[in-house]
Amino acid sequence: MPLNQDALWYKDAIIYQVHVRTFNDSNGDGIGDFPGLEQKLGYLQELGINTIWLMPFFPSPLRDDGYDISDHCSVHSSYGTLDDFRKLLNSAHERGIRVIIEMVLNHSSDQHPWFKESRSSRDNPKRDWYVWSDTDNRYKGARIIFVDTEKSNWAWDPVSQAYYWHRFFSHQPDLNYDNPAVREQMWQVMRFWLEMGVDAFRLDAVPYLFEREGSNCENLPETHVVIKDLRRRIDEEFPGRMLLAEANQWPADLRPYFGDGDEFHMAFHFPLMPRMFMGVKLEDRKPIIEILQQTPEIPPTCQWSLFLRNHDELTLEMVTDMERDYMYDSYAGDKTMRLNLGIRRRLAPLLENDRRRIELMNGMLMSFPGTPIVYYGDEIGMGDNIHLGDRNGVRTPMQWSGGWNGGFSTAEPDQLYAPLIQNPVYGYPAVNVVAQLGSEHSLLHWMRRIISVRKSTAVFGRGSIEFLHPANHRILAYVRRLGNEIVLVVNNLSGAAQAVELDLRRYKGHIPIEMSGKNIFPRVGDLPYLLTLGPYQFFWFRLRRI
Amino acid sequence: MADETFLTDDFLRQLINVGEVDILVGLPTHNNARTIGATVQAIQSGILRWFPRDRAVIINADGGSRDGTPELVTGASIDDLRRATNLPALRTLHSVSTRYGNSPADAAALHTILAATELLQAKACVVVSAESSTIQSDWLSKLLQPVRTDSFELVTPVYRRHKFEGLLINNLLYPMTRALYGFNLREPYTRDFAMSGQFATDFLSRNGWDHANGGGIELRLTLSALRERRRICQAFLGDREHIEHRGADLVPALRHTVGTLFSAMEDDFALWSTVSGSHQVTTRGPDHEVLMEPLRVNRKRLREMFSTGVAELADVFQQILSSATIAELQRISSLSETEFHYPAELWVRTVYEFAASYHKSVINRDHVIQAMAPLFRGRALSFLIENRNSSSEEIEKNIEAVCIQFEQQKPFLVEIWKQ
Amino acid sequence: MNELIIGELSQALHDLQLAFAHYLPRLIVMLILVFVGWAIAYAVKVILRSILRLVHFDRLSENTGTAQLLTKAALPTASEVVCRFVFWIVFLGFVLLGVNVLGILGLQEQVGKFFFFLPRLFVALFILFVGLLAATFFARAALLAAVNANVPSPKLLSLAVRSIIIVFVLSISFEELGIAAQTMLVAFGIAFGALMLGLAIAFGIGGRDMAQRFLERRFVRAKREENEDELSPL
Repeated sequence: MPLNQDALWYKDAIIYQVHVRTFNDSNGDGIGDFPGLEQKLGYLQELGINTIWLMPFFPSPLRDDGYDISDHCSVHSSYGTLDDFRKLLNSAHERGIRVIIEMVLNHSSDQHPWFKESRSSRDNPKRDWYVWSDTDNRYKGARIIFVDTEKSNWAWDPVSQAYYWHRFFSHQPDLNYDNPAVREQMWQVMRFWLEMGVDAFRLDAVPYLFEREGSNCENLPETHVVIKDLRRRIDEEFPGRMLLAEANQWPADLRPYFGDGDEFHMAFHFPLMPRMFMGVKLEDRKPIIEILQQTPEIPPTCQWSLFLRNHDELTLEMVTDMERDYMYDSYAGDKTMRLNLGIRRRLAPLLENDRRRIELMNGMLMSFPGTPIVYYGDEIGMGDNIHLGDRNGVRTPMQWSGGWNGGFSTAEPDQLYAPLIQNPVYGYPAVNVVAQLGSEHSLLHWMRRIISVRKSTAVFGRGSIEFLHPANHRILAYVRRLGNEIVLVVNNLSGAAQAVELDLRRYKGHIPIEMSGKNIFPRVGDLPYLLTLGPYQFFWFRLRRI
Repeated sequence: MADETFLTDDFLRQLINVGEVDILVGLPTHNNARTIGATVQAIQSGILRWFPRDRAVIINADGGSRDGTPELVTGASIDDLRRATNLPALRTLHSVSTRYGNSPADAAALHTILAATELLQAKACVVVSAESSTIQSDWLSKLLQPVRTDSFELVTPVYRRHKFEGLLINNLLYPMTRALYGFNLREPYTRDFAMSGQFATDFLSRNGWDHANGGGIELRLTLSALRERRRICQAFLGDREHIEHRGADLVPALRHTVGTLFSAMEDDFALWSTVSGSHQVTTRGPDHEVLMEPLRVNRKRLREMFSTGVAELADVFQQILSSATIAELQRISSLSETEFHYPAELWVRTVYEFAASYHKSVINRDHVIQAMAPLFRGRALSFLIENRNSSSEEIEKNIEAVCIQFEQQKPFLVEIWKQ
Repeated sequence: MNELIIGELSQALHDLQLAFAHYLPRLIVMLILVFVGWAIAYAVKVILRSILRLVHFDRLSENTGTAQLLTKAALPTASEVVCRFVFWIVFLGFVLLGVNVLGILGLQEQVGKFFFFLPRLFVALFILFVGLLAATFFARAALLAAVNANVPSPKLLSLAVRSIIIVFVLSISFEELGIAAQTMLVAFGIAFGALMLGLAIAFGIGGRDMAQRFLERRFVRAKREENEDELSPL
């Protein structure tokens, strides 16, 4: 299956987010690796996804799950060799699967040779590759992101007797983007991977590249200059490759990162996700509609990337205090589930393993305007382990079978990078790929079906959205439209059956065809279109005028 | 009228869209365009501030407004409120308006609201008057909180009133319900109150909803709670400005209150004849507070109407009152204005004789109620004179004395009632 | 001659004997009828009395004001009056029946008229009773309304209402009885007209103030409220 050559391929993508370490161990050392992942590409192909996003696999002391990179142009030895990665990349492309990798622009590990040089003396040539200061009083406007672990954005370096700037952990010094040499070096890193065939980069922590006194040191104009420059170089040398921004910001603040279609191709829509959870809990569409209406228009070549859960905590930075309290009380009654300003849980446990709610959430994810991302394991409803520190509870090994180590590795269980989920509800004997493949009713089969329905039309990835406003506020209904292709989506956010009258007069004469069962429904007329939906049920109708 | 079809299809359709709620706010209106905006805003901000997570709905029962009141209710968007008060809203807040008829009728309005309460399975229902322009957003919290968190079944208000406002309540309704049912409820007849969903459902099915003669329905609700020994709480709300539309005329006011009370006494004889003394009702905040502003009242007119009544209605009184009481009244009516005094003891005897005569239907019952008006004016005048220079404590003491009189003379009431 | 006289005498005696023999049974029947009538009338009276007591007739008549009227006329209670009235009607009926049996010419016709008249009498009495009831009710309603609205001379108003209704009711009753229907109509017309004229004059002379006050209340209300606070009873 050849790669889709459309330059806007990312608009039709369905992304699978996975960490090499967590997926499959081919050599029995207890840690997932590239050959292991390569073996499972068939599984991913059958799932229907067409893009994988690999989390950082670079050499690293692994104090921040690989985001503390100590060599940008190599791979961590635990995951295999650079050749193994190249082989994985080629196999994926053969199967029509594109690969997104991480690009951590903002900082490096304090073990990176650059930083070691930089701190070695105040007059080292690489001294100003990082942000140094004699006092910790500069840039007071910048907030602290990891409030649970860090007290200041400045850390004292005893070697060179100065403070260095870090927006994240103190072992992750920020690179100095005011230095042209740094900018050039980072482009060389990107070129290295692009030449190898990588399809896209997820650029980590984009808003924090620059520091300016008197600002909050986020989203500064200089950042856009750097991004535009990178984008221009990519378009010239590697057309068809894609840049995805990670910037946990309000949609209106994110909008500049799309530029005039000359910066990022895609960006994560962070505020939407907590509001989807909130909407389902409240049984009220209000939060979802509000955030989607606040979402600005983006250039036609750009795309939002949507997700339900990822490797981080379910972030509640982009909600009001009241909404955060509500989310905590609803989804993280146990305080150990909370981390920073978020909830460190997986999809299934968040939704109390309620299959109907899991389906509804995925249904919305797949039908909202944007490119959906499925976090590994969520397609089978994996659980989490809140007793593992930081966000490691949602990064446990993939559960392939009910056998030894859940089929993840042949190593001794003690040897695994992290223990498998063992509890009776979500443990690997209960939740695993093999078992779900054998059961037609399983979540995995359901996910395959919904993905294939989603891929059957481009309207979900590329179409416009128009909300209907039925008086029943538990019903979230919208029309997706691309040319003549019209899809009506009706979601019941409530745990009780609902009746709803939709005003479909604009589509008078159309025949709704339910997309999963392909059954036709009564033709749309002048009267309000009456639908009844079961608890958490949703419908996708293709509206055809015949 | 009060059959299954009194809810319109359109109203039902709107209720379907609202679905189950936690809090239902009932808002009876009739040509309240002037005050409704502030009222709805106070309600909305009350919900957002105090009950942000609860599912809530505002049900407006309109009696045929011609000034666009219902449109103002349904048009008051929660987003406008957010701009005005910076209160974020988690949920959709529905405002539903329905017209129950073309003229205001308290019973029809409450019937509509309680029916909606049952249909929406509301856990608590709060009714606020659209006529009051002093409503604060914390009223909602003060009325609802006891229901939502402490499982009270009825919450009645206590207002900070002018010392001579609510004379009928202080001189008759409050002391008499207290003497009859044994609970110190300061405002038995109120247009702002909250109740549990269960009580709403029960009252809905038990009350005999006569929309045409449904004045005083709120008092009937309170009496029903007292009769059924429901958990009642009083909440201090603060100032209340009442823009009188209907209550201003004494005779209709008497009909709605005293008439309702007297007719309830018929059904509850077995209960009230055995009650003696009274208990305090749980109260959040002070249980009374008065404003001492001066008030210019036409005392001469009150005096004149009392005397005219006593003279002209002599024949009527002969059928209602005992000859001793009549003689006393005649003596009082001959007093000069400076000496005028209608003592509490005599007032209570008068009221009880009226109650007994009402019970026996010595003349048309409505005439019994009407005949009370001049006498009440006399008592009001006496109260004004007695308390002209009183402090709030003294007034409270005087009201308490009236209450004690009502309680002490109860055996007399039972006696003449049975005769 | 003597023979003739004796003959005539014996003839007369014989006739008398004959007449006596002819009338005696009828007389006996009449006496029996009178006696039975008395017994039935008495029974009706007793039954009626207990029925009236059961329906609180006295209280009802008190409401109409008849009771007061009766007391003033030194008559017993209303139910007693009704009982006695019914007793005498029934008794009289039987007596007249008895008289009829005697077969006295002319008298029979009168008795027939009496029985023909009886139902109309009852209807007329009923109308009168209900009318009095209504008159009292409306008179009192007017009185109370007038007192509570602070209208001057409430008693006069009440009396007027009562008078109008009574006159009206009386005219209907008499019409029902068929007594001088035309006369009653004219009398009613005159009485009603006089009353209206009286009222008109009364209003014309005494109503100036009232009209003035009415207008004041209507148009200068705001000003009054500034000076005086209205007492809110609730």
